[in-house]
Amino acid sequence: MNPRKDLITVESLSDEEIYTILESAVAMKEIFTKSVKKVPVLKGKSVLTLFYEPSTRTRSSFEVAAHRLSADVTTFSVSTSSVVKGESIHDTIDTLMSMKMDYIIVRHKNSGIPAVIAGHCNASVINAGDGAHAHPSQAFLDAFTIREHYGSVEGRRVVIIGDILHSRVARSTSCILRRLGAHVAFMGPGSLVPPEAHTGVKRLEDWDAVFAWKPDVIYLLRVQNERIDSPFFPASDYHAAFGVTEQRLRRIEGEGMVLMHPGPVNRGVELCDAATEYGNCLICNQVENGIAARMSILYHLTPATLS
Amino acid sequence: MIKTYITHAVWAPDGRAVDACLDPAAEQASPVILPGGIPLPGVSCVAPAGEMPIPQHARVLPAHGKLLLPALYDLHTNIEIPGRSKRECIMRAGEAAVRGGVWGMLVLPSPAFCFDNGAALDSFRAAAEERSVADMTPAGCISRGMQGNEQAPYAALALMRGIHILSDGETFPANLPMLYHAMQYAADLGLIFAVRADTPALSARTYAHPGTTAYRLGLTPCPPCAEEIGTATLLRLAEATGARLHLQLVSTAESVRMIRRAKESGRVRVTAEVALQHLLYTHEDIGDYNTVFKTVPPLRDRADCEALLEGVKDGTIDCIVSAHTPCTPFSKKQDFITAPAGMVWLDIMLPALYTKLVKPGLLSWAELMQACCLKPAAIARPREQEEGAYIAPPLMLFDPAVEFTVDERSLTCGTLNTPLTGERLCGSVTLPLQ
Repeated sequence: MNPRKDLITVESLSDEEIYTILESAVAMKEIFTKSVKKVPVLKGKSVLTLFYEPSTRTRSSFEVAAHRLSADVTTFSVSTSSVVKGESIHDTIDTLMSMKMDYIIVRHKNSGIPAVIAGHCNASVINAGDGAHAHPSQAFLDAFTIREHYGSVEGRRVVIIGDILHSRVARSTSCILRRLGAHVAFMGPGSLVPPEAHTGVKRLEDWDAVFAWKPDVIYLLRVQNERIDSPFFPASDYHAAFGVTEQRLRRIEGEGMVLMHPGPVNRGVELCDAATEYGNCLICNQVENGIAARMSILYHLTPATLS
Repeated sequence: MIKTYITHAVWAPDGRAVDACLDPAAEQASPVILPGGIPLPGVSCVAPAGEMPIPQHARVLPAHGKLLLPALYDLHTNIEIPGRSKRECIMRAGEAAVRGGVWGMLVLPSPAFCFDNGAALDSFRAAAEERSVADMTPAGCISRGMQGNEQAPYAALALMRGIHILSDGETFPANLPMLYHAMQYAADLGLIFAVRADTPALSARTYAHPGTTAYRLGLTPCPPCAEEIGTATLLRLAEATGARLHLQLVSTAESVRMIRRAKESGRVRVTAEVALQHLLYTHEDIGDYNTVFKTVPPLRDRADCEALLEGVKDGTIDCIVSAHTPCTPFSKKQDFITAPAGMVWLDIMLPALYTKLVKPGLLSWAELMQACCLKPAAIARPREQEEGAYIAPPLMLFDPAVEFTVDERSLTCGTLNTPLTGERLCGSVTLPLQ
């Protein structure tokens, strides 16, 4: 396996790399159970988190992951930087690279920004979400969580429900699950599930079709109001038409299906309050596994600064 | 007056081998009649190859195997180069055009060249006269400052400054009452409204054609209906007001069908253009965020390319244009959403048209001449307000046997944003001949 510098999309990885990252995530998670939750794998390395969009779990998850690998973490605050003065991304990166960063973890509202940065610097660039394009670390933690719960991803049926059009999670997670042999279906409002999304993915019309398909995992996407300029659906309809209502939750419980959500949850929109209490709701497992998956990703990459 | 004798050239429209005498004094009784019945001035005689008596000491251009054809006219050129002076933009665009076989161009208004008043036009014309080796005809603004709020002074632009086409450059006049009244008012002045059909409410902050590429890259899609609703609106406005309409940068198959129906009805005075980029490339060429392929309107499907070419061949689409838009290298290195849209074409216009369309048999020389020389000149440079009659183009020689690689040396326009960089093209242009 050639050393990989950047992680921009799941698509760009080989099957071997996907399995390797998932395998080492298992080993990384074992570190959490030790009294000293730290290994010296990245000791002396500099990790920068560069988030142009708000984030709680992804940013802190990457920071915790880097700390547990003994890296030095710098947090770049966009709102108090020259970015607000109109500095171009190239100039920001040049400035930060003068500070000899080894890993840059970037989130941006524009699709394609991490690839531009990766082509412009020697540091390993990890895409922590770019527009509606890709969110590979989320894909790894989702695959890891399903694998941990069921023992394997292969042959599992996963339905992803909600705003497919604007969701980088839908793109990256559906990609990794299919690469690992799962069957994936999409369901959501007609205005948010574009026909071109269905290459290799089943389209389900409504909840009746979802239950009839007998999924193992029901993966709810967040309604991303910040990414939507004009209304794509009547907001008051969403929960009843596409959300996990209490009635649907009873059926999900009865059939032992797993619930997942990338967070943050809009309560009363994607999920009813009771759904987060459901025993097979794996949202907190996803967060915990996110740290292990991101440790594994950091471990897998080789910055060109080292050569 | 010095006469130039061209020997053993191939007259492109019908493939005859000819000798021709280029005579700057020969204004009348030209032996070369172009389609549309226009005699080509400056040509005093044409004979089958080898039969023309050539006086001693005459200037002779042996042109064995080269094509003799009228030079191209480009109806859609943006000459502004970000960060450069207006004079340099004018000079470079003129040089680029002549290299690509383009003798004249319609210069569209832009922030740097805002032709909404007489002074701006006068200063542009003086600079073009001094700096440009190609003919530059400015288009006046539809609205003051291209803001879309109030009409520019059409009578002053048309009657005193000879402006014949109005355009707000790359912006669609979203203020429909303003446009409606402008078209009513300007119909009597014989002005042409050159507008790109669009529905800004649907196309704002969109970056690619809705399809596999837009989905894969997470780019907000620009639905074809945004253009088609605009096409329907503009055709209806033109019919209602009697104004002449020129639809710019048509990009969808349905738009072509709508224009065809409008022309067949005979009730709308409409002409239309397509950019070469929309005939040659599709959204799939964007690949992995290649910003060279970012255009407005976006590159569409293969079926759209085919419908557009069909439209050119049957005359529904009158002109093929360059949509030449210089962008600085840094600006195109940015991410796809931030990078500016547009490609440069002028320098390589005829070699690209030949290599990509004529040589593979997609377009004949006669069709190319209609779409790239005669019809655009008839729209931009009509003679005495007479539709269909135009200022005649100069002749040029084109050698299809010469091959070259597109690189910095073949692009003088100052920027490199063409998808053909590194590709081999056929053809070299000799223009002007005298």
